[in-house]
Amino acid sequence: MLARSALRSSRTLGAARNGAVHTSKRAASSSSSSADASPFRLNMAGTAATAVAIGSLAWYYHLYGTELHAMTMTEEGLHATKYPWVHKEYTKTFDHQALRRGFQVYREVCSSCHSLSRIPYRSLVGVTHTVDEAKAMAEENEYDSEPNDEGEIEKRPGKLSDYLPNPYKNDEAARAANNGALPPDLSLMVKARHGGCDYIFSLLTGYPEEPPPGVKLPDGLNFNPYFPGTGIAMARVLYNELVEYEDGTPATTSQMAKDVVEFLNWSAEPEMDQRKKMGMKVLVIGTALFALSVWVKRYKWSPIKTRKIAYNPPIQGGKH
Amino acid sequence: MGFFDSISDMLEAALPWSTAEAEAPKEEETKDEESSDKSEEEGSEEKEEEPEEEEEEEEELEDPKEKFEEECKESKACAPAKHHFDECVERVTSADHGKPVDKKHPDEDCVEEFFHLAHCASTCAAPKLWNALK
Ligand code: HEC
Repeated sequence: MLARSALRSSRTLGAARNGAVHTSKRAASSSSSSADASPFRLNMAGTAATAVAIGSLAWYYHLYGTELHAMTMTEEGLHATKYPWVHKEYTKTFDHQALRRGFQVYREVCSSCHSLSRIPYRSLVGVTHTVDEAKAMAEENEYDSEPNDEGEIEKRPGKLSDYLPNPYKNDEAARAANNGALPPDLSLMVKARHGGCDYIFSLLTGYPEEPPPGVKLPDGLNFNPYFPGTGIAMARVLYNELVEYEDGTPATTSQMAKDVVEFLNWSAEPEMDQRKKMGMKVLVIGTALFALSVWVKRYKWSPIKTRKIAYNPPIQGGKH
Repeated sequence: MGFFDSISDMLEAALPWSTAEAEAPKEEETKDEESSDKSEEEGSEEKEEEPEEEEEEEEELEDPKEKFEEECKESKACAPAKHHFDECVERVTSADHGKPVDKKHPDEDCVEEFFHLAHCASTCAAPKLWNALK
């Protein structure tokens, strides 16, 4: 509001100055020298008005122009570093070997605290595991079956259509086991946080050996620069050689973090590979159709573009 | 769907390149009842591809991220951030040891200095790290 009115006032001032120049010119040309229309005074008035306009703008900027930071840097958290993820490129798919390793990390490390409630065993088939492997994993867990004749609900081994089991019965149990902090579900975590993959990777690998001096955190919180507020209830979980990869990849902390993050990216958008392929198809078919339409247009217009309009003026009057 | 599938199947057969195989062998297995021997084959194939990586394995694994970031912290580009952080550490820790506390900032911590240094180091290490990881 203020800015607009300030602008408007400066515009009217400019108009006024132009007017002043005109009148002074006219005064000069008509050579009637009157004291109050002296060019010096008018110029002074214009200059002063412009100075006031600029001053008011500057004042406005001083009051409202600069960005306000309500949060301190600590509360904001360190912004995650950008990593050159291969699967983020437009023509690249997930690395399914990495997905398989990432699932292993989730299963052996994260799954004791975090659920992955949107992923059924069947969706791992053909992505990270074969049918038989997925079936075998599902059968390791027990699920409620249909009520039997007495109405009792018995347990049955898991099937491909079952979802990955939750580590806790409910959120309250999860909180109680984790010092009051709820380990969030990881299915959509990559989409749920600013920075996505970069953030989670930085979070998992970003625990410094000791917090910088002067930091005071409440009991039960761990220092992690990437977590807003820097005090996170999850302690560092990944250490070198915590898991043993079946393909022999050295299980360093950052390798495990990278794999599990790529896996979590898959769990958040399992359709990504297909989506990129579909996007390419759209582009290819679209460009082909466009080219076709250009040729068709040329074809249809050719009679009109190549016609020649001749005008033979009628012969007027008689012969001379 | 069937129509387009058959077209793309024909295309695939004719094209000089093949589609990525992440899913294909497993799909076959879905149809195949006795697939246990097949998955074994697959496993052995995977192992054949890997041995190059194992050479790098040492007794104690060193995390490449830590290694690169340590190097980066010492680099010239991060020298100003490191200087400020070290200075802050000095100031804050010495305040704890009986020295007169800085009146202006009684509860100073080094989080901001730490952020700048960590940001510099991790940005510098990111491309190297991705080259080192699989
Ligand atoms: C010992 C239990 C435990 C384990 C194991 C664990 N976490 Fe957590 N995690 C937690 C808790 C508790 C929180 C909630 C932290 C908070 O809100 O302060 C959390 C939070 C998170 C968050 C969310 C951070 C945010 O921005 O809100 C992510 C992402 C995460 N964990 C990923 C993982 C991954 C990946 C693994 C496996 C490598 C893992 N966690 C293993 C307990 C655990």
